[in-house]
Amino acid sequence: MLTNYHCLYCQKKIDRYTLYSLYIEEDSLCLDCREKLNLKVRKFQIDDCKAEYLYDYNSLFKSILLQYKECYDEALYICFLYKIDIYLYLKYWNYQILYVPSTKTKIKERGFNHLKLIFEQLGLKEVNGLKMKEEIIQKGKSVADRQKMINNYYYEGSFIKRLLIVDDVYTSGSSLKGVLKAMKGHYKKVKIVLLSRA
Amino acid sequence: MLCPLCGNKDENFFFNGHKGIYCRKCIKFKRVLLQEDLEPLEYEINENVNDYHFDYSLTKYQKEISDKCSLFIKKSDVLLHCVCGAGKTEIVVKSISEALEKRQKVCYAIARKEVVIELYERFKRIFFDAKVIALYGGHHNELIGDLIICTTHQLFRYYKTFDLLILDEVDAFPLNNNYELMNIALNSCKGRIIFSTATLNDFIDNILKERKVQELKLTIRPSLKPLIVPKTFYGPILFLHIYLLIILKRMKNQCIIFVSSKSEAKTLHMIFKRFLSCAYVYAELQERNKNIRDFKEKKYQFIFATSVLERGITIKDVNVIIMNIHKDVFKKENLIQMLGRVGRNFSNPYGEAYILSAYQNQDIKLAIEEIKNANELSLSLLSKEN
Repeated sequence: MLTNYHCLYCQKKIDRYTLYSLYIEEDSLCLDCREKLNLKVRKFQIDDCKAEYLYDYNSLFKSILLQYKECYDEALYICFLYKIDIYLYLKYWNYQILYVPSTKTKIKERGFNHLKLIFEQLGLKEVNGLKMKEEIIQKGKSVADRQKMINNYYYEGSFIKRLLIVDDVYTSGSSLKGVLKAMKGHYKKVKIVLLSRA
Repeated sequence: MLCPLCGNKDENFFFNGHKGIYCRKCIKFKRVLLQEDLEPLEYEINENVNDYHFDYSLTKYQKEISDKCSLFIKKSDVLLHCVCGAGKTEIVVKSISEALEKRQKVCYAIARKEVVIELYERFKRIFFDAKVIALYGGHHNELIGDLIICTTHQLFRYYKTFDLLILDEVDAFPLNNNYELMNIALNSCKGRIIFSTATLNDFIDNILKERKVQELKLTIRPSLKPLIVPKTFYGPILFLHIYLLIILKRMKNQCIIFVSSKSEAKTLHMIFKRFLSCAYVYAELQERNKNIRDFKEKKYQFIFATSVLERGITIKDVNVIIMNIHKDVFKKENLIQMLGRVGRNFSNPYGEAYILSAYQNQDIKLAIEEIKNANELSLSLLSKEN
């Protein structure tokens, strides 16, 4: 139903195209928004695990993510992996994907799992069994409160050979550290992909 | 398909999500599902909160318009078309009081947060018994009160709630040319609306045509003095900047220098701060509130401002200079509003206003013409009285 004639974020008419958007895959954002998002894969370490993130944590990215997660604008899911989905698929095709869990209340309110909606287009097999002990909403919490997330996960599932953990933004790192702690001993190899890093 | 909140009908802006089809035109406010029934916000108005008092008395012209407004609003919507500084806020107080007496829900909405804060303080003093609340971006925990003062963006929280809505500066950004926001504003009211402005444009004309609106005009300020007609100068940009420096050097009062872009405000501030005590302000500036406050407290004599200071702000004994360097930035309405900042002090309703322009412009001519017409009207009215 949604046409590609308007930018999904700024809603202006898209009147400038790149060759990529003309011949390979249409972009859902206008060229201005896309340029400001600045897609660039950058690598870093979380404990001993290799992680990479895709976007600068700039004001535009923050607004788009806020509109997607907090205003429940699920149409925006398509814009996050544009041009990078092929790279991610080729790199992680034999991995199983694990979405960092959101609280059940939030998923119910939104009507969708925001990470799953973005990353399921890669077609990777999903890992189930990671659960939260207590529903803690991290938004607006202090670093000390966020540290509680480290012990807030447990895993009840099978052994995974290659595990890919995905999350939206790396802020204090406590949820990812919590997930890694819960998954310890249940995988052979792990990689992390994030949309952005604050 | 029709969005119940913003009235969007364009199918390109609907998306079929997991919970159903929702409108993307107003998604920045909240997700509105098409199958969802929007509910009005239910709350009770306290009794005996309608008493009001002013620190000063209204002129007979204000009283006359105020009485007419409170009478007409019972039958239809009202357009208050008054010159800048005519005291529109005071004029609507009687209508608000009568609505509160009937325990009706009332809201006063205006575009800018700074003006909401200023009006909140004023209305707290005017309606001393009522619980007045202010709502704006980042300050919206409390939604219920006897009288609600809010930015137009916050009206999405009140679907078909108000019996009386005052939409002030209705022709200003962000309401101007924004059908979604205008519909959200109109949809927040189940009763009557008072549209209030000093300048009209085609967009507002079209909106008003669709409704039955009674127009009330007031061209006299409370001081009964005419509006300040600006002096205009045309010339090359360098000449204008030198002339600006000369004017500012000899100026004794405070002065707002309106410029067309934030980069221009920054650049001029960078140059002029060597000679004068000045600050600058534009909408996205982090120290925006601080700079405005400092200017009001007379810590600076001059301020370079974009249209952020164009409306709703009252600074006593201030002069205005408009630097019209870029084409098509300042329209007639903007110019009238900017010039309307001058002479708002009741005890000293005088001041200086200049337009320094790099090119001949129809809007400048039209703005000056409109000010002169308003002055003529008020003069004829005053001479009739005498």
